[in-house]
Amino acid sequence: MALRNHPAKYSAFGLVRRGLRKTNWPRVWREPDWKSSYDVIIIGGGVHGLATAYYLAANHGITNVAVLDKAYLGSGGSGRNTAIVRSNYLTPEGVAFYDRSLDLYNTMSVDLNLNVMFSERGHMTLAHTDSALRTMNWRAEVNKLQKIDSSVIGPDEIKKLAPSLDVSTNTRYPILGALYHPPGGTIRHDAVVWGYARGADAQGVDLHQKTEVLDILCEGGDGADGKGAGATVTGVRTRRGDISAPIVVNCTAGWASTIAGMAGVRLPITTHPLQAAVTEPVKAFLPTVVVSGSLHVYVSQTDRGELVFGASVDPVATYNMGGTLEFTEELAGHVLELMPGISKMRLLRQWAGLCDMTPDYSPVMGPTPVEGFYVDVGWGTYGFKAGPVSGEQMAACVANRATPDLIKPFELSRFTEGELVGEKGAAAVGH
Amino acid sequence: MLLVPCPNCGPRNAADLTYRGESHARPDPNTATREEWRTYLYLRDNPSGWLRESWYCSSGCRTHFQIERHTFTGELREPLLPGSKTGGES
Amino acid sequence: MKNRLPSRAGEQIDRSTILSFTWNGKKLEGFAGDTIASALVANGVTVLSRSMKYHRPRGLLTADYWDPNATVQVGDEPNVRAAHRRLEDGMVVSAQNVSPSLRFDVKAANGLVGRFLTAGFYYKTFMKPAALWPRYEKILATFAPGGKVDLNTPHGYHDKRYAHPDVVVAGAGPAGLAAAIAAAADGASVMLVEHEHEVGGHLLWGTDDDRATAAALRAEAEAAGVEILTNSTVTGRYEDNWVAIAQRSHPMAVERLIKARAKMLIVAAGTIERPYVFAGNDLPGVMTSGAVQRLIRMYGVKPGTRAVVLAANDSGAAAVAALDDAGVDVARVIGSGDRAALVKATGSSTRIRKVHMGDGTTENCDLLVTAVGWTAPTSLLNMAGDRPVYDPSAARFFPGTPPDNVLATGGITGDGTRDQLIEHGRATGRLAAGRAAVVCHRLQASTARAASVDGAEPSYPADERAALPRAPHPEMFRAATHGIVDYSEDVSSKDLFGAAAEGFDSVELIKRFTTATMGPSQGKLETVNTVAVLAEARGETIAEVGTTVWRPPYAPITLGALGGRVFEPVRVSAIQPWHEANGVTPILAGQWIRPEHYGDPAEEVRNTRTNVGITDVTPLGKLDLQGPDVPKLLSLLYTNKWMQLPVGGVRYGIMCAEDGVVLDDGVTGHLGDDHYLMTTTSSGAATVWNWIEMWLQTERPEWQVHVTPITTGLASINIAGPNSRALLGRLTDDIDLGPEAFAYMQVRTGTIAGIDDCITWRIGFTGELSYEIHVPSQHGLHVWNQLLEHGVDLGVQPFGLEAQRIMRLEKGHFIVGQDTDGLSKAPTTGMIPLLKLDKDDWAGKPEVAWVLDDDYPVVVAVQPTDPTVVPEEACQILRADTIDIVGRITSSRFSPTLGRSICLAQVSQEFSEPGTELTVLLVNGTRTTARVMEHHAHFDPEGTRLRG
Ligand SMILES: Cc1cc2nc3c(=O)[nH]c(=O)nc-3n(C[C@H](O)[C@H](O)[C@H](O)COP(=O)(O)OP(=O)(O)OC[C@H]3O[C@@H](n4cnc5c(N)ncnc54)[C@H](O)[C@@H]3O)c2cc1C
Ligand SMILES: [Zn+2]
Repeated sequence: MALRNHPAKYSAFGLVRRGLRKTNWPRVWREPDWKSSYDVIIIGGGVHGLATAYYLAANHGITNVAVLDKAYLGSGGSGRNTAIVRSNYLTPEGVAFYDRSLDLYNTMSVDLNLNVMFSERGHMTLAHTDSALRTMNWRAEVNKLQKIDSSVIGPDEIKKLAPSLDVSTNTRYPILGALYHPPGGTIRHDAVVWGYARGADAQGVDLHQKTEVLDILCEGGDGADGKGAGATVTGVRTRRGDISAPIVVNCTAGWASTIAGMAGVRLPITTHPLQAAVTEPVKAFLPTVVVSGSLHVYVSQTDRGELVFGASVDPVATYNMGGTLEFTEELAGHVLELMPGISKMRLLRQWAGLCDMTPDYSPVMGPTPVEGFYVDVGWGTYGFKAGPVSGEQMAACVANRATPDLIKPFELSRFTEGELVGEKGAAAVGH
Repeated sequence: MLLVPCPNCGPRNAADLTYRGESHARPDPNTATREEWRTYLYLRDNPSGWLRESWYCSSGCRTHFQIERHTFTGELREPLLPGSKTGGES
Repeated sequence: MKNRLPSRAGEQIDRSTILSFTWNGKKLEGFAGDTIASALVANGVTVLSRSMKYHRPRGLLTADYWDPNATVQVGDEPNVRAAHRRLEDGMVVSAQNVSPSLRFDVKAANGLVGRFLTAGFYYKTFMKPAALWPRYEKILATFAPGGKVDLNTPHGYHDKRYAHPDVVVAGAGPAGLAAAIAAAADGASVMLVEHEHEVGGHLLWGTDDDRATAAALRAEAEAAGVEILTNSTVTGRYEDNWVAIAQRSHPMAVERLIKARAKMLIVAAGTIERPYVFAGNDLPGVMTSGAVQRLIRMYGVKPGTRAVVLAANDSGAAAVAALDDAGVDVARVIGSGDRAALVKATGSSTRIRKVHMGDGTTENCDLLVTAVGWTAPTSLLNMAGDRPVYDPSAARFFPGTPPDNVLATGGITGDGTRDQLIEHGRATGRLAAGRAAVVCHRLQASTARAASVDGAEPSYPADERAALPRAPHPEMFRAATHGIVDYSEDVSSKDLFGAAAEGFDSVELIKRFTTATMGPSQGKLETVNTVAVLAEARGETIAEVGTTVWRPPYAPITLGALGGRVFEPVRVSAIQPWHEANGVTPILAGQWIRPEHYGDPAEEVRNTRTNVGITDVTPLGKLDLQGPDVPKLLSLLYTNKWMQLPVGGVRYGIMCAEDGVVLDDGVTGHLGDDHYLMTTTSSGAATVWNWIEMWLQTERPEWQVHVTPITTGLASINIAGPNSRALLGRLTDDIDLGPEAFAYMQVRTGTIAGIDDCITWRIGFTGELSYEIHVPSQHGLHVWNQLLEHGVDLGVQPFGLEAQRIMRLEKGHFIVGQDTDGLSKAPTTGMIPLLKLDKDDWAGKPEVAWVLDDDYPVVVAVQPTDPTVVPEEACQILRADTIDIVGRITSSRFSPTLGRSICLAQVSQEFSEPGTELTVLLVNGTRTTARVMEHHAHFDPEGTRLRG
């Protein structure tokens, strides 16, 4: 790929050299000048928006691109998620898609010349009932067909992988088995965001932070202000001024409906907060990611020693990220069911992010009834892991003006056609 | 936790109720086109702002009612009693 | 205790009670009332921990809960705040994060290469070779700070409490105490919550007069009926003043969570003293002015022998007075707000030795005390939506405009004399009580059925408090040299400058990149210094840079306290005692515990098919429906027709959601005029009840139907098998069981085993002649016993869920949620005749109509070619010689009746024709074949047995 301005190459050698010379590293990305027109505007500076920008430049040579974010890069779900990556989905469509993402993650540190700390520590989804076990088997069978390393294991093996789990049978929710997925793991979410941002910037993409989009400019549509079905997008209005562009891509996750609404497009999405929390650090004792769907909790231990917890989305739709006490109570209660020995660990911090939930736990990607207005949304509680592949595919979609096969099942039109994707069973607390 | 004003029980912890989401009218099942029906099933305004929504007092009096809630600030407007479609289901 | 001072007035220790404890295996002693840290310092311990990244030795810094250097392991408890936790006899205390020991730490070598390990260094290296990263990662993980979890730690006793106080006051310094007293005096119920072990706040280490005032306020608060909780923390303020309190002082609970719906919250959290950033600021012996005052005045501990004091405010002078008092030689006082006055500190590995001044002079010392300003812990206000505002003249952030039900008072809002703080507190307490009264009144008046509201609504008091003055303060954040900003994360001001230059130049980005403020003290000490350094690096003001959002909890809280006791009851039927006494193997099914089998399910099947079996089906959802419009309701919610079902009739129905997906199924019987009993699946009981109420209230409010859930009100027993009629006949006189009188799919109400009003219907889930009886719950066990007693010669035996599942599979009955899934629309069940498109309206009808014209997967009965192979449930069905999935096995068993394997499967229509050969991929990876059957029922497809 042709880099317009080379970023400083990161390496251990560089660290030493700069340490000796006492020089700082150059900026990771520029503070770009304001421009009034671009070929492509991407709204949302999370992993999806940034990856789309990066691949537009890297794979298609389209560099006259702006990424707009109302706050700072990664301020949405991309900077708030628990960074679990896996590909053991339930449907063949899902598996193929997420597996491509894992491939991209595997080489990302080298591709982006930035260590994203992909930690392939294994991912274990516990089953507490025979019906859950049946779903695990189903997933394992679909996964194996697609050559995904995924199998159902029993309590003894579970205990070996995570000795802190109580696998005895006299608990309220006995652990009957688990879907084990060795290639799953965690990643440093901020690093992924910064990596794509730095890579996109180096190829000439402008990253405008603190640039809130207030309206989408359209003409020729059926609705008010020429919006809605049949309209053509002409640009965006931001807090800093108007920008014209023939293509606008909505990558705003939790805020997706608000942006789509500005173009007169309704989405099959409701916004719910998803909460997470970390404990104070302790010495490593939990080597894998553990998920329990029935108990609505998942947990992993970071390299820093903190336990990171997550749950399922809050039931009430809201754009407020205040968080609740109940979340921490339920989380702690359930995690102690699984690991009774950690009752003296302390919760250090809780937070929330907004999730764009769809009825079939699958994303909405590709064109909309408004010409030039694309969406890459509906990422719910599981979209971080999909960042790389979504960026790659959305870039292709926009560059070629045609939806690539890999994301065809996820088009918005599936809802009016009644062709929902069958991930619902597997993703309720999937991440 | 949010306090939700059930018209019968008064303000209750949101966890005592069931959230049913954005209120929307059911099209006539005999005349609705696929598009209309699926719009009813799946598409939502999901605004960041005032939203008319349905709640169910599932651990209390079991009344279904609607309120208007601001989805960012959490402010509430007067609850409406069940079935009061006159309140203007959108 | 070589550093213990002679006894003094006001100290919190009890010298008559000596406690012994160990520190890294060494036996030491302290007094009752000591914190672990004060006892350690009294014993001459200067190094309490090592830093995370560079493993630098660290000593006491702030000597309070937030001290980043005083986190220790106590027994099986990691991360104990040694400067807050009271010493107990026999405590086993050790340092954390040391390798191998506190005194000799090999990782301290990282300090030498520190300049290469700039913040975020790990992002810039270890990329290649990729294969090595997992190994690097393991090494990085050994740097994780923190103590050790003992996985055998007992859960301990944890309880929770709900409270509904008018006013919660967070912080019991002079302002908080005064606010609590004034609110209580005005009639409010008040909870006063203090993080420390004693109330009084900074008065506790003040003058004799200060302490006397604190004691008097405490007495006044007690007399006013204020509930005082010490060693307790308001950890969070959530929506609508839902306030979380961690009570560590409960006599029984290890830590107790109190959840208070406070009408008003008063935040009187005082201020936290900021450390100063300069080279050497993390050497043991560098302390804040508050730390030395606390050590001397509260614990009688001498913090050093020769001190330099940097006094940019009054607290510096107070520290000097305390040091004088303790006989510490104060070598120099730098009484200046000049950043250049102090340059750096140097010392040995265990102690500061020398301070270097801006004028080129140096001073030898073993203690450097800094008094450079305050941070307002606005965390609880943040959680209420408030954003703090920076005031450069006072060099700190102040509260902005919190919502009406949250008030701030005391040091967090300004400065002033003790009396001014108390007066501000009192005014705040009165205001809170006045507002709480209004909230009370509105709550009383808020329901439609509000009984007696006391009088008219009081008027809402406006906030007319005079603000506390703000003392001018120099902006002292960093000297001209670089030092540590975040002690727990080992982040220096140099790191922050570097990060800002790299473009991580907003407060949120720099925090994420460097991890400054992310450690265990949650930014209490670090946030403002981070912001100040960033402002300096960017050449902006602190106000322009702004601050980060403080997230709950205010102070860390144990998982035990949050989890409490888990209240998730299991449900059992009235017959459970019998099951347990008779060797049942139980199974957890949703909330229910059910009998899976009593030893041999295959034998249970055989006995039922040849004699008679009884099974406990109490978990079946049961809804009592009454009213003239019940038939309309049933027609609306089931796919089939219900208007003509006569009294005494029973019918099976399928329910769909509005997207046409199968929601539930079950039978409903017409018991009498306007009276029906509906059964649902066990797991669907609650959903269906809600579903019915939703339709009745929102779509058909004009219909007259009452719905009452009676699942647990009735014990349900299924009696199945050729001898079932004979058996039931022995227990009833008033129900005619004759095949014509009581035909298949009919219901009767009568007396069974002497119990009136038992509902009996003839249905056939198992495929046998069978009766399902619903008996008032309290008589369930009696009827069960009678059935067993009277059926001995008929061969009666109980059977469990597994036998039931085998028999239903032999009969080909699908189970909602197992043979169907979240996308299966009604036609998938194969029950096409039950989908009455000619009915006017029913839930899900449009989607069902459309899908019928479309391609949809179908549930079919399947038999493997090899009768001994039982394909696992969830096995995939493939197009031959490919890996294209065309369906899956949804249920499978070995049929004891047929002596072969049988299945239900979902397959695409193309593969659903009877006789089609399917390719099944077994879990072990081999492929096998199976054939699609003509009927769902593998056994007795004509149904002669159940109609008999
Ligand atoms: C607590 C939590 C845990 C999660 N855990 C996982 C996990 O373990 N694994 C996983 O795969 N996924 C997880 N997710 C989901 C994942 O974080 C998201 O799906 C993903 O980050 C979405 O990325 P994005 O780039 O689409 O959106 P975001 O990162 O949310 O970015 C959207 C951006 O749009 C900007 N924006 C919004 N409105 C405007 C406007 N009007 N103008 C300009 N900009 C605007 C926002 O500021 C924001 O930066 C989790 C989410 C949360 C909240
Ligand atoms: Zn109610």
